[in-house]
Amino acid sequence: MSSAVQLFFDAASLGGIYAMAALGIALIFGVMNLVNFAHGEYIAFCVFALIVPSTEAVAVMFLGKAPAILLIPILLAIGGAAAVASEYVVFRHMRKATPVAMMISSFALGFIIQNALLAVYGGRPKAISLWPDLNTPIALAGAQLPLLQLIVILTTLVVVCALALLLKKTRLGLEMRAAAENFTMARLLGVRANVVITGAFALSGALAAAVALIMATQTGVADVRMGGQIMLVAFIATVIGGLGSLPGAVAAGFLIGAASILLQGFLPLEVRPFRDAFLYTLVIICLLARPQGLFVPSSAKPRI
Amino acid sequence: MKHSILASTLMLTLATPALADDITVGFAIAKSGWMEAYDSPAATAAKIRIDEINAGGGLLGQKVKWVEVDTKTDRAQSAKAGLQVLDEGADMMVVSCDYDFGAPAALAAESAGKNSFFLCAEDVKAGIQGVGPNSFSGSVLAAVQGATMAEWSQAAREAKTGYVLLDTTIEYNKGICTGFDWMFPKAGGEIIGRDTFKNNDASIASQISRIKALPQEPDVIMLCSYIPGAAAAVRQLRAAGITSLILNGSAVDGSYWLDAVPDLSGFVLPVQGSIYGDDPRAEVESFNQAYEATTGARPASQYAYPGYILIDLWAKAVERAGSVEGAAVTAELEKMQGEATAFGPRSFSDMLHHQNSAKMQIIEIADAKPGVVGDWTISEPVPLDVLLK
Repeated sequence: MSSAVQLFFDAASLGGIYAMAALGIALIFGVMNLVNFAHGEYIAFCVFALIVPSTEAVAVMFLGKAPAILLIPILLAIGGAAAVASEYVVFRHMRKATPVAMMISSFALGFIIQNALLAVYGGRPKAISLWPDLNTPIALAGAQLPLLQLIVILTTLVVVCALALLLKKTRLGLEMRAAAENFTMARLLGVRANVVITGAFALSGALAAAVALIMATQTGVADVRMGGQIMLVAFIATVIGGLGSLPGAVAAGFLIGAASILLQGFLPLEVRPFRDAFLYTLVIICLLARPQGLFVPSSAKPRI
Repeated sequence: MKHSILASTLMLTLATPALADDITVGFAIAKSGWMEAYDSPAATAAKIRIDEINAGGGLLGQKVKWVEVDTKTDRAQSAKAGLQVLDEGADMMVVSCDYDFGAPAALAAESAGKNSFFLCAEDVKAGIQGVGPNSFSGSVLAAVQGATMAEWSQAAREAKTGYVLLDTTIEYNKGICTGFDWMFPKAGGEIIGRDTFKNNDASIASQISRIKALPQEPDVIMLCSYIPGAAAAVRQLRAAGITSLILNGSAVDGSYWLDAVPDLSGFVLPVQGSIYGDDPRAEVESFNQAYEATTGARPASQYAYPGYILIDLWAKAVERAGSVEGAAVTAELEKMQGEATAFGPRSFSDMLHHQNSAKMQIIEIADAKPGVVGDWTISEPVPLDVLLK
């Protein structure tokens, strides 16, 4: 029993991180058909924003020194600003480009951000001491887990609910949903394209910052390559969830987190190093069974 | 007649530089990209030794100079950089720390019949087995580090039970765990469980749950990983309330990452020399000071030392061979048995161009302060079949 509870918490906390990252990608895909491969680099960028720029081996906290009540909104704003800036500088000029061209430029953008971080901070991973108290173990329903795991799960739920409310109840949300359904039609009906797209990028960047805060607290390190793995998983989650579907991205994020934890928990030792191979095999099976994704938005279905 | 004069003048001008030329060490290393953080300290240490040699009258009566080409932390660039330093007249080549990034350049040196030295590779392939007969490494094999931890923890801390946590991302990690797996049962301990993870895993919660499900917490956990994954793993292990002594390879040396795990205690690693100013050997501390005088900061980890050691050993072999010719220097290097260096004795043989046993300083981190708590030399060198596993 206790091990089942433990598994649930392990899976939900890892899934929560993936779900939030996937949501950031799905949001942008929804409004402009862009798979933003620079998303992982936004995460790394936000983590590095916590420390003073320097190539010295020992990191000095910069933003990370601020109290949580200031730090969280500032970092979310920084993430949002970085994403909006990249939209303004790069993607705004590519509105008429094909999705492939935009995807390639997002790769290029990610590469530029990563190398800029490398130039400013050096190649050595840096230590970050952010909220170490969150790593105190607590007992809950027969399972032992660091407080942070619980916070991750709760944060994900809050973020998803807040986003759902935003999409259902506000004008921006309505415009975003309309744009996700049919961008041209939405514009013809008076939806302000720039506002919608900027809004989507800002939200996506803020989500990247939230993931960055969780990663920094959980691992205690900043590494220029840290965004890559999460980006990959998050991208796969958006594909499995059905490209463009926000609930689908969240559900698939949790699903991949759970599958990863279960494989790690139950695979025999000899094949455990190949956990990710098994995980991606499951992904392929998933896509073979439902090529359109598990949770397809109605907009993706042909109308005739 | 006119032509023959011209020809002989040409011959002379062409031949003269070769006769009076300096000895050239070619560095095909990463000066940009993420590998730079690991290559630069060791290369700086190598240049410190070169300067010392020049100050002492040079090598074979000639000055040692160096040329340098950036591999940009890229395997394809590494091969190109290797060829370029050869074109610039390198008599021996120093290549990147990591086997994967250094090997393309080292192969270029090998095919030109020159010696190559990996700055700090700790995989057996970085030498005869992977590159060829003239290739060496300045560092100590990963398996020796794991075996040192296994034997020391039983002798000094009465460890009986061990748990192996292997990060499967790179070969170096497997090497540490191989050494631990070989030595820990041999020295009388029992390995009660093992698990794997990946360096960039967002969470190792599942691995931790498995350790916590054991009937009894293991005395030691052998963590075969490197920073950043190792720091993240330790942070999560301690957050979960696991108090076992955590053993590591040399790759986690340096206090720069300690903020990641506040108030860390019970964390042990083997190093070739201490960067913390408490090494019992005066030569090590005087190197640390020389390094600080050159770069403005003390070494960030022990990985500066192999650069110094390799130039030291190579220069001795060149003196004995009376030449920089690859095969002749290799023959002299292979004769070295317990050759004294500032960082302890080093040996090579015609089977192994690596250290399969070495005196290592044991660093323990207690209350977030690293310091030397002793030294250890494994009772038996790690056998070749274990290394090649």
